[in-house]
Amino acid sequence: MNRSRVRAFSRSAAIAALVLFAGATGARAQDRTPNLWFQGTRLNFAHAVPMQGDLAVSTRDDGLRRFLDRLGASVSYQPQQRYVVITAQDRRTIVFTIGDPAYTIAGVRAQAPFAPTADGGDVVLPFFALARALYVEPVQGSTETVLQPRIGVLDVRSDANRTFVTVRGAMPLVTTTNAESPDRLQVSFTGLGSSLAPSRRSAGAAVDEIDVAVGGSPRVPTTTLTIAGARGTTHRIVPADVPDAFTVVFEAHGPVAQAAPPTPPPLGSSPPTATPDYPPGGSPQTPPTAAPPVVAGRATVTDLAIEPGAGDSLAIRVSLSGATAYEWHRLADNRWYIDFENTTLTGPGRDERPSFGAVESVRMRQLGTGDAPTVRIAFTMTGEQRVDLGPSDTGIVITVFSQPADDLTRIGTGQTGGVPVMPSATTFEPGAAGSPAPWKYGPATNPKLIVIDPGHGGADVGTMHNGLTEKLLTFDIAQRLRSILVAAGWTVRMTRDNDTDPVSTDNLSHMHADGKPNADDRAYLQTRCDVANNAGARLFISIHVNSAPVESAHGTTFYWYKPQDAAFAQALEKSVIPAAGTFDDGTRHENFYVVRHTTMPAVLIETAFVTNAGDVGLLRQPSFLQNVAQGIANGVKAYAGVPSANALSQQ
Amino acid sequence: MRWSRALVLVVLFVVAVAVAWWYTHRQVALVDDTIVVYYVKDDGTSLVPWRVSLGPARDRASVAFYAATQCVAGPPEGTEAVRFPLGTRVRAVNVVGSTADVDISKDVASSAEGGFAESAEFKALVWTLTQPSLHVTAVTVRIDGARVATLPGGHLELDEPLSRSSF
Repeated sequence: MNRSRVRAFSRSAAIAALVLFAGATGARAQDRTPNLWFQGTRLNFAHAVPMQGDLAVSTRDDGLRRFLDRLGASVSYQPQQRYVVITAQDRRTIVFTIGDPAYTIAGVRAQAPFAPTADGGDVVLPFFALARALYVEPVQGSTETVLQPRIGVLDVRSDANRTFVTVRGAMPLVTTTNAESPDRLQVSFTGLGSSLAPSRRSAGAAVDEIDVAVGGSPRVPTTTLTIAGARGTTHRIVPADVPDAFTVVFEAHGPVAQAAPPTPPPLGSSPPTATPDYPPGGSPQTPPTAAPPVVAGRATVTDLAIEPGAGDSLAIRVSLSGATAYEWHRLADNRWYIDFENTTLTGPGRDERPSFGAVESVRMRQLGTGDAPTVRIAFTMTGEQRVDLGPSDTGIVITVFSQPADDLTRIGTGQTGGVPVMPSATTFEPGAAGSPAPWKYGPATNPKLIVIDPGHGGADVGTMHNGLTEKLLTFDIAQRLRSILVAAGWTVRMTRDNDTDPVSTDNLSHMHADGKPNADDRAYLQTRCDVANNAGARLFISIHVNSAPVESAHGTTFYWYKPQDAAFAQALEKSVIPAAGTFDDGTRHENFYVVRHTTMPAVLIETAFVTNAGDVGLLRQPSFLQNVAQGIANGVKAYAGVPSANALSQQ
Repeated sequence: MRWSRALVLVVLFVVAVAVAWWYTHRQVALVDDTIVVYYVKDDGTSLVPWRVSLGPARDRASVAFYAATQCVAGPPEGTEAVRFPLGTRVRAVNVVGSTADVDISKDVASSAEGGFAESAEFKALVWTLTQPSLHVTAVTVRIDGARVATLPGGHLELDEPLSRSSF
């Protein structure tokens, strides 16, 4: 029997075992397979087995693949290891472990009804748990189960006089403005339900209250969000970078109309929320896209409520405004505590003694002030009870069970409310990783020759942003540089003389005996190197234009690889920056192909960023391109002198 | 005499099998229940270590795969970081000896972002996989299962092992 047959047989056996297990619990599995609807169509699975209130579905099932595709999520799993990672469209990771019902959503632990199982390249997952983590809630009807996409995140963050309110849904938002005045906004999101609490008082500077109402039908729900700003505020909707998020900012003018923090409810009498929070139908893990970055000390704990949980458990609900990272510890003497980093309390500390559950006392304190405020919530249990930590619609909920813990893990970390604060972040200096390996190269056999490599060309356009195309800019600068260098007495060869791919037959056929273009990326780049290597050039200059996924990146960067490149890169840096007037992004040691595989001093210059507004303005000016070329020529002169003297020194 | 020699050979064989099993199934020794994942800040060079909690699996294959997937997913949105293009996922990580071979989906080449982003993305990945607890010193890269010299239109050489000193 070959390996594929063995796998097929064992996969079938695993599915059969699941079916038998379900049958043994008292009903025929097929009869109980839910009639699932998602976005107006029936969601069919090839193999789905109801199990302990969830649905066991294979990651190879086409139905699951279609479901995840619509949500922009992807599955990563590799046989022979135990983690299954689902990456959501908003980059949250949902991590299952083969053989363990516990899983995490963006680092926050949750519990599935059953443990995932693996068979070869196939994994069977608890589908409903996964759907909820992706903000899709199964809503049970009389004859069908609707997989209802929901608004899963309501994030409220404030700075001095502004409050940013962001919602994020499972799907792209279809937004309708119902009513609007300067200090009030009501919008509806069609096709999405909600896992949020119906009302929330904000601790922010410019918003008093946020109400969430759900209407419509299970199949076509509508969520309406009403935001009441503080008196005298104005608001504006912030354009979102991603379609599944909506952000509005309310701004207070004049003296800040500070909203009063919510009054902590009496112990054990917190009103139950209408939203299930465990496993989460929604999680406040995702920050707003357009809101300002969170800085240390911005998160606040606005409320602490202790109430009976499911069964005889006790739930400690922590309401948070803003984003924070946390770390929890289980101590050997039955104490358990969690520290919220860079977080402050809006009110005084709390000391509580619950009259129920397995917790003797709960304490909340502000630790540290100034640059590193921390809020600690600690409690003492009657024994080594099981403690679960999960997201809620307003922060997190800590559930303490009366049963002893199976897993006595002592420490854990996570983030909540959006951008994690990372006070322990360490910045490494460039080059600290180690020095480059020794490199050997021979003397130039043609010491008057400089090879200019205009980056990209032909079908390889390079980067394109803001109406600028890299291959055209690099060729423009290269032509200008060639003119200056030739006037100075250098011999110049270009790796391409027009807008063609250097591997194309008509451009570099003289370098390839068979006249055929190269077939792969290595040959493509090696061709550029060969122009200089074969001719024994003195210097190699590769000209590029940079781009980045972040708009803030700007300036000119000089990349080198071989030790002998470094001095040339520094010479170019000293000449180009003052001539071009760009930000000096420095010289960087990188494993870039063309500087590594050339045998003479070589530098790859990224002249400016086509993704930065300031640099774009420069790149559009011919005078700037000329200044860059002149700066490079000045650097060549500073490093290599003039060609005649250089030629004599080589002889 | 012949029997004793055979016995010695059998014992040696068993020991060799045991050592091989231990080597391939050894657990990653962690200081706590977290592992370090790196990302590169907006400046394109500064590395930021980011601790993420691990599930119960501690074998090296699982931990390496987990670390790579977290690195490619990146820190939560809003964090100032240079990120892999949206949709990029880790297909596989195979660790043999001190080299980790990472197979990344072709989505990584979906946006030509220049040397800046390329360098930052792979720097973060290499630093993540070469953390001491994984006993990995070099990283090789595949794109959709294939060995490539660079990304299409790219700069960084990917068909030779990358290490921390590559950046």
